[in-house]
Amino acid sequence: MAERKKIEIPEDVKKVESVGEEAEFPFDISPMYEGERIRKNEMYVELGGTEQPGFELVLALPEEEVEDMKVTIVGPDLEEMEEGKAYPYAMIYYVAGSQVETDLEPVIERRNHDFQNYLEGYMHLNQRYDIWIRIGKGAVKKGLKSLTQIAKATMMLFKNELPFIEKIEALYITDSALVEKVLNEVAMSIYEERDARVEALHDEDVDEFYSCTLCQSFAPTNVCIVSPDRPSLCGAISWFDGRAAARVDPEGPNRAVPKGELVDDIGGEYSGVNEFAKEESGGEYERVKLHSFFEYPHTSCGCFEVIGFYMPEVDGIGWVHRGYAEPAPNGLPFSTMAGQTGGGKQIAGFLGVGISYFRSKKFIQADGGWYRVVWMPKDLKDRVSKYIPEDVRDKIATEEDATTIDELKEFLKKVSHPVVTGVVRPVDGKKITEGWVEEEEVVEEEVAEEAAEAAPAVQAAQPMQPMQPFTMPTQMQFPLQLPQLPQQPAAGGVRLIIKDAKIYIDKIVIKKPEEKKKGGK
Amino acid sequence: MVVIAVTGKGGTGKTVISALLIHFLSRNYNLLAVDADPDSNLPEALGVKPRKTLGEVREVFQESRDEMGTMNKEQWLEGKIYSEAITEADNFDLLVMGRPEGEGCYCFANSLLRGVLRKLMRHYDVIVIDTEAGLEHFSRGTIGGADYVVVVTDMSKKGLSTAKRIKELSSELKLNFKKIFLVGNRMMNGMDEEIRKFSDEEGIELLDLLPYNEEIVKLDIKGEPVVLIDENSEYAKKVKKIATRLVGDSNG
Repeated sequence: MAERKKIEIPEDVKKVESVGEEAEFPFDISPMYEGERIRKNEMYVELGGTEQPGFELVLALPEEEVEDMKVTIVGPDLEEMEEGKAYPYAMIYYVAGSQVETDLEPVIERRNHDFQNYLEGYMHLNQRYDIWIRIGKGAVKKGLKSLTQIAKATMMLFKNELPFIEKIEALYITDSALVEKVLNEVAMSIYEERDARVEALHDEDVDEFYSCTLCQSFAPTNVCIVSPDRPSLCGAISWFDGRAAARVDPEGPNRAVPKGELVDDIGGEYSGVNEFAKEESGGEYERVKLHSFFEYPHTSCGCFEVIGFYMPEVDGIGWVHRGYAEPAPNGLPFSTMAGQTGGGKQIAGFLGVGISYFRSKKFIQADGGWYRVVWMPKDLKDRVSKYIPEDVRDKIATEEDATTIDELKEFLKKVSHPVVTGVVRPVDGKKITEGWVEEEEVVEEEVAEEAAEAAPAVQAAQPMQPMQPFTMPTQMQFPLQLPQLPQQPAAGGVRLIIKDAKIYIDKIVIKKPEEKKKGGK
Repeated sequence: MVVIAVTGKGGTGKTVISALLIHFLSRNYNLLAVDADPDSNLPEALGVKPRKTLGEVREVFQESRDEMGTMNKEQWLEGKIYSEAITEADNFDLLVMGRPEGEGCYCFANSLLRGVLRKLMRHYDVIVIDTEAGLEHFSRGTIGGADYVVVVTDMSKKGLSTAKRIKELSSELKLNFKKIFLVGNRMMNGMDEEIRKFSDEEGIELLDLLPYNEEIVKLDIKGEPVVLIDENSEYAKKVKKIATRLVGDSNG
């Protein structure tokens, strides 16, 4: 981790210091100024933006190093600037407090945008190394003379709104060479470090997840749960976005979901998530496993970027994204599968995800993760290729290798894909599939495996297997709605709802799960 | 703040009227012009070269969002809109909504957009929106709402039935406009009875009837901005009166 220390200021640059709170400001301070856009011809000066370098940075320091309410301006101040010109700009805040830690730096830093936009006649846009500030002529006319006034007003807001900040000190730099130097030598590595931390942040490292119910107008029972290891299905919302939105509007579409008790660490099941899902889905479902494909999978809204589909013939999972129009090896295009799966239902055998979920270290880990994946379109595979473990990367087929189940079988056998001999899931080293023993026995093995592991829900999904070969006519809306029924005792049996369907079946084999359990293991 | 939406069947001249309202009102008010009709050419009518459309910014957002790490996405979007989508003309700002979204989920992008636009829009005295008759941006909530809707019709049956449909749509969608007005455009002498009758029957107040104007046609065909029209023409004077009425209405 980059060392946190005060920025060294060279001897030869102009420096002005000021300590203490300002009695009054020549500008109004209010949230009503948020969104105020200062036009070019009303602008006194521009700081940062497209013409000049600029950045903002918060550094957490030990208490004794921070001089509370001190401002240092290095380089020309407002009064020395030429009207209509753009200048380099760095805003660095040193903060201290018993609860202030490095992890909080980005959280505090982000509020600089909010607070500075409360200032009348001051426009703050963007973040990190992209900041773009305009100061209005009107503000200068009303008496704004120095960046010290801006810094003190901002620090006052920081302390009022974030009481855990016990001490705060500001260093604003407009000296071109120093802005560049600190940006390149200090700030960039800290930003990079933060992004790296995100990759390393996992479900177990946080206390709460965030919900997203933005899609409920399309899918009334859908509840997206966004965790560090599982971004939203639409791909748009990361755990950090959820946190940001929940802070702004705690009762809005993104709400905090306390994790509660860990129920299943491999599947990713938490009591808090279950309770929340039950409540928000109107009791439609009661359990959700965040990293499971078959067992209590996450609901699928309809907005998802990619759909995963189980192919019993090869005992593997394929993925197809919205942009791929051709049918997948199971004979169905994205749109048909999405139509069946969407609407906020839990459908074992299909799962909608966001593309960024492929980056997750917990990517369907309960069901073998990447080692269970057998097919995806080339476009999609290329996009996520670097997240696929090297030892299986070339074993996952694309449309160039296979477009039908038969071709896929051939390919998987040729490359010795793990599904052929049985998948060992990396998370705990458990062998979760038996592999293809003989064509005829695949069905049995499959069901047995799932049955042994749990829920009647999963069994409900399985009747698909013995039904092949069957054809799915396009007019069929819900070819097989395979309901989860997790809340009902196993005695209830299997419920099949078939609407507007034409199904041609050569043979159906129905067996009691108990028998198969023996057979399978 | 007064928000005026100008709408009507395509080809009735709503963009001409929008442009003139913007042209006249921006002299006295801090104004935002919004082009919310993918088929219209409000920027050309105003003589302004537009920058990126909001739709284009949204597409860039959709494509780059996976690489944003811990960056705040609302701030990202706001920055792009303020720096790349808003065009600063001499007297007003222009925002072009652009084409509707492509495939995929725009729930989150639109939710962020709504927030950004709400904060932006409240800083203007007057907002004039040239919008297609389906009022899509209103029904989707990308644009929070409007005080007044001005439905422009020509002398066609279709123009009038679109006006009727807009009124029905706004009550179905509960868009809560304060008032819906009617403006007749390109009127020929003695042909205005039908429109007056329609206005009475449907309870849509008729603001004015604008005459056929040859200058506008000429400007249009030469591809010149319609705002170059002679200000002393009857047409321009009438639009000025409409502008005063709409903005005055809200102040009084």
